[in-house]
Amino acid sequence: MITTNNLTKKYGDFTALNQLSLTVNPGEIYCLLGANGAGKSTTINLLLGFLKPTSGVALINGKDVATNTISTKKDIAYIPENLMLYPTLTAVENLDYFSGIGGQKLPKETLESLLSQAGLQSDAFYKRTGAFSKGMRQKVGIAIALAKEAKALLLDEPTSGLDPKASNEFGRLLQGLKQNNVAILMATHDLFRAKEIATNIGIMKNGKLLEQFVSDEISLPVLEETYLKTMNYKELAV
Amino acid sequence: MFYYNFKYELKILLRSRWIQLISGLLLVLFVFASFNGSQKIEKRKAEISKAREAVKTSDARMLQQLDSIEKGHKVQVARWMVPTSPIAIGNYYPRVAAMDPNEMGFIAVGQSDVFTHYVSPRVSADDFSINFTEMTSPIQLLFGSFDLVFVLVYLLPLIIIAFSYNVLSEEKERGSLRLLASQPISIKKWVFQKLGLRFFWMAVIITVISLGVFLLNDVVSISGLLSFLALIFCYMLFWFSLAFAINLLVGESAKNALSLIGLWIVFVLLMPSLISQTGDIFFKIPPRMQMVQEIREHKAEAVKKQDEILDNFLRDHPEYAVNDSAQSRNFWHGYMASQNLLKEELQPLLSSYDEKLEEQQNWINKLKWTSPAIITQRALGRLAGTTKQDYDTYQEQVLQFAEEWRSFFMPLLFNNGVFTSELAKSLPAFEYKPKSDNYLVSSLLGLLVMTCVIMGVTVSMYSIRSKETGILGS
Amino acid sequence: MIKKTIHKELKELFRDGRIKMASIIVLLLMVTAIWISTNQYNRSNEQYEKAKVAEREVWDNQGEKNPHSAAHYGTYVFKSKQPLSLLDQGVDKYTGTSIFLAAHTRSEAEYSEVADQSELARFGQLSPDFILLYIIPLLIILIGYNSFTKENEMGTMSLLKSQGAVPWKIMIGKWVAIFLPIALMTIVLFVIAGILLSTLDGYTPFKWSSLFVLLLVYLFYYVIFINITLFVSKNVRKSGVSLVLLLGVWIISCLAAPKAASNFAESEYPYPTRQEFENTIAIAKKEGLDGHDPWSDAAKRLEKEVLEEYNVDSLHKLPFNFNGYRMQKGEEHEAAVYKTHYEKLKNQFEKQVDTYITTSVISPFLPTRLLSMGIAGTDYYSHWDFADAAENYRIAAQKFLNDDLAYNTKYGQRNYVADADFWKKLPTFNYQPPGLATIIKQNTFSILVLLAWGLITSALLFNFRTKN
Repeated sequence: MITTNNLTKKYGDFTALNQLSLTVNPGEIYCLLGANGAGKSTTINLLLGFLKPTSGVALINGKDVATNTISTKKDIAYIPENLMLYPTLTAVENLDYFSGIGGQKLPKETLESLLSQAGLQSDAFYKRTGAFSKGMRQKVGIAIALAKEAKALLLDEPTSGLDPKASNEFGRLLQGLKQNNVAILMATHDLFRAKEIATNIGIMKNGKLLEQFVSDEISLPVLEETYLKTMNYKELAV
Repeated sequence: MFYYNFKYELKILLRSRWIQLISGLLLVLFVFASFNGSQKIEKRKAEISKAREAVKTSDARMLQQLDSIEKGHKVQVARWMVPTSPIAIGNYYPRVAAMDPNEMGFIAVGQSDVFTHYVSPRVSADDFSINFTEMTSPIQLLFGSFDLVFVLVYLLPLIIIAFSYNVLSEEKERGSLRLLASQPISIKKWVFQKLGLRFFWMAVIITVISLGVFLLNDVVSISGLLSFLALIFCYMLFWFSLAFAINLLVGESAKNALSLIGLWIVFVLLMPSLISQTGDIFFKIPPRMQMVQEIREHKAEAVKKQDEILDNFLRDHPEYAVNDSAQSRNFWHGYMASQNLLKEELQPLLSSYDEKLEEQQNWINKLKWTSPAIITQRALGRLAGTTKQDYDTYQEQVLQFAEEWRSFFMPLLFNNGVFTSELAKSLPAFEYKPKSDNYLVSSLLGLLVMTCVIMGVTVSMYSIRSKETGILGS
Repeated sequence: MIKKTIHKELKELFRDGRIKMASIIVLLLMVTAIWISTNQYNRSNEQYEKAKVAEREVWDNQGEKNPHSAAHYGTYVFKSKQPLSLLDQGVDKYTGTSIFLAAHTRSEAEYSEVADQSELARFGQLSPDFILLYIIPLLIILIGYNSFTKENEMGTMSLLKSQGAVPWKIMIGKWVAIFLPIALMTIVLFVIAGILLSTLDGYTPFKWSSLFVLLLVYLFYYVIFINITLFVSKNVRKSGVSLVLLLGVWIISCLAAPKAASNFAESEYPYPTRQEFENTIAIAKKEGLDGHDPWSDAAKRLEKEVLEEYNVDSLHKLPFNFNGYRMQKGEEHEAAVYKTHYEKLKNQFEKQVDTYITTSVISPFLPTRLLSMGIAGTDYYSHWDFADAAENYRIAAQKFLNDDLAYNTKYGQRNYVADADFWKKLPTFNYQPPGLATIIKQNTFSILVLLAWGLITSALLFNFRTKN
């Protein structure tokens, strides 16, 4: 569903992403771990077509993102790190607008049920989002993703800045999506959350994918040790 | 996408109070500016009708005197003002040659503060002694008027800039752009629709306000209103297309705003002044002082040779000599004959000035296509009938009328005829006929072409860039 | 502390590409403007010289002629360009440069440039005053709009405060950092103008003192704009809002207020139309003596008075030619009529100036505008002064001609002609424009308003108590 093949992005001499090849199948959650600047966000930006690759391809549902930028987005939902909405519009209006401009006309009832599926309290449906907390905005973002019935979901540090309860709720929601055969790619710093929800885990450093695990085959302490070793090793090498 | 943009853009604009702010601002500006314009028009109308009233009164007195004289009574009047003398009528009972304001006159003060709107050519006066300039404080001329043209040409673009400079950058800075761009839409189209909608609402507001202002000023011509609106809309389109370009090609809000302000300074302040100055530099008008001196030389010459000139004149016009048996000649015969000669002699000199001025105007007319502000200012001025061109037309017609006025009295004078109440009915009258041409269509087309060019260049530059780097490239 | 702030701010300015670009553009515009107006200045000086010499030649070589014919034939006087018009053209374009002086009538200055130009010229022109009055304030706004908001947005302000920086010292640092480059630019422009003017020949001597006063006016104008800019930047949170507000201030002050003021002035204190004015004068003239008409009541009255005064019974016995005397008396009556009506007009203009001064409450541009062209000698006061001087010369010239008629001819003598050499005896018209002291007196109100603007904005800027 989500595939990258030798995906490379260079800015002049600087290589932000170096020959990344990975695949996320429907029903899988792939977590990309790594420090800031490891190339996680670059990967997601390339998959969204926000950036053009220097070489290699990013495929969504078998279609090249670089050449089908608009049509591949029909299959992707995306939740950015700091999700922002139109502050003067209400939650329902934001959901209606974002799904509407993508070509989906949804009745009011559907909009409301999507928001409650995403975990938003019903008394917030008709409030302007200007006063929403980050968690609340993210829930509206999830509702937008749900509305799209996308086959691929891209998440960029979704749990950073969320309190532990919200973070936990968010994890459960992803599990639900996994059941619906959605392919999920998530970039995160959070080893604990990654171990908990991911099916596959990759560790990136300096634009390279250095380690890959199947989540069930590795324990959290081992994951942590490997992560730290990878970071240190590379730093020594540089 | 359009339906949803339409639905929510209006909501956003209403909730952020943009619509209310713009409506209020435009309403105040339009009403104040059109009030200033109409005040000048009212003053002008009042002055012209006062002058016409005065002519009516003096005509009635003249007819009364003529009537008395024809009945053989004596009249109490100065020797040189007795109305049976054709020259007395030609000098002391001149007609009002007025330039009545057009009903859209209130939209542009234009050159109406520089030139006079009525003159009364006299038979003995030559063309150069008709003063067409109005008495106005030069400080007022320097500052100009707060009229609708000022609001539309100078201020409206600034309002458009404030309304549209950050359509895309705001999303970027707020952080909603990423979510938006992950939807299956083209950002280019999205910005286009957003700006298109803002244009639409602004156009609606302006239409409503203009309708009100035009009704207040008793404008009945629908085609006038439509031309006015069409012009504003095309000028707005130009500025919106610039905003479109800057939104797509620049990026940060502050940079967008500064770039647009820079363009405004270039198009509205710098280009017009530079263009008008290149006209002065490349097509130098010979100093008027030189003209004054030549005219004086000719006049002095004519005074010296008045008798000779009269003889020549009579030789050229045998009809005057034949019909009159008395052949009595006085001062006026010599004077009028030499005036006639002067006019012929000075014609080449005057037309050399006119030609130079015309060359300058042609040059400016060509260059005006580089600045939408000039195109719009001119076209609105033409609608109002207050451009230099309109005053040139009027002044030309006045000079023609002055000639007609003179030629009405010339045969009478040289045949030593008597002015009668019968002749009073056939005195020539002046009517100003405005000249119309297709300036409106060409102006609209010019503005649209500029808009299209900007849009075309923007779209192609944007696609080249997004192909290379993607939308987060900058 | 202050020094460090100035140093840091200046460094930031010079590293900002936008400001560098804008300053280069402004400098280029200045050079172009100076070049254009130097050309104009030279050209009009040349034309002035030519016209003046040619006109005097025409007058001197009239040949044998009756003095009153010469009076009707008349002469022209021309207005020369003031040296500081190189920097501020003022209303020169809107007033004529030549005045026709002849018997019985006071003429307005003829052939203003604007009458030959299309409405395009009303956009203004690229001249140094355009840059000084409109563009440099914009540059100040560009440099200073985010002076404080930037620090707030990046969070460096709290860092600075945590380091124990005193607000007023930061303010002075920022203020000086904007003022220095602007002042430098302005001074360079004025020095160039000064050097140009001391090398070019003009007809009115150039004085460095006037140039210096003009420079002070502009620097003070910029002080006001810097105060406003920093005040807004200090009190607003976002850079965008600060920019929009400051542009609003600029538009109102430089574009909208002068135009609105001109509309207010016109509707409150309108000028008559040319026709109205001429009619009123014609009527007033008719009420008195007409030098050409010996049969009128006024002429008869004068005759009686003169006979009584000289105690003779016939006009022939007077020691002068009564015809010439009557002509002069008629001229004096007409001159008096003109004087009263032009006084009225001037009063109306002075009331209009009051309106401009009142509107200055919302616009520091207006007093600067008026002062600048006042000092440059290109304002309406200067034009009035010239026109009045021309009128006085006309009256003196008419007396010169009429006296010749009165004292060199006998009553009843016809076909008198003066010698061909007679005309040369008429003194030439030598106009001296008013000095700096007079100009400053004329513009006292503008100066006061400008000072008030400076004081009030400074007080607002350095008042830290209300905040924090």
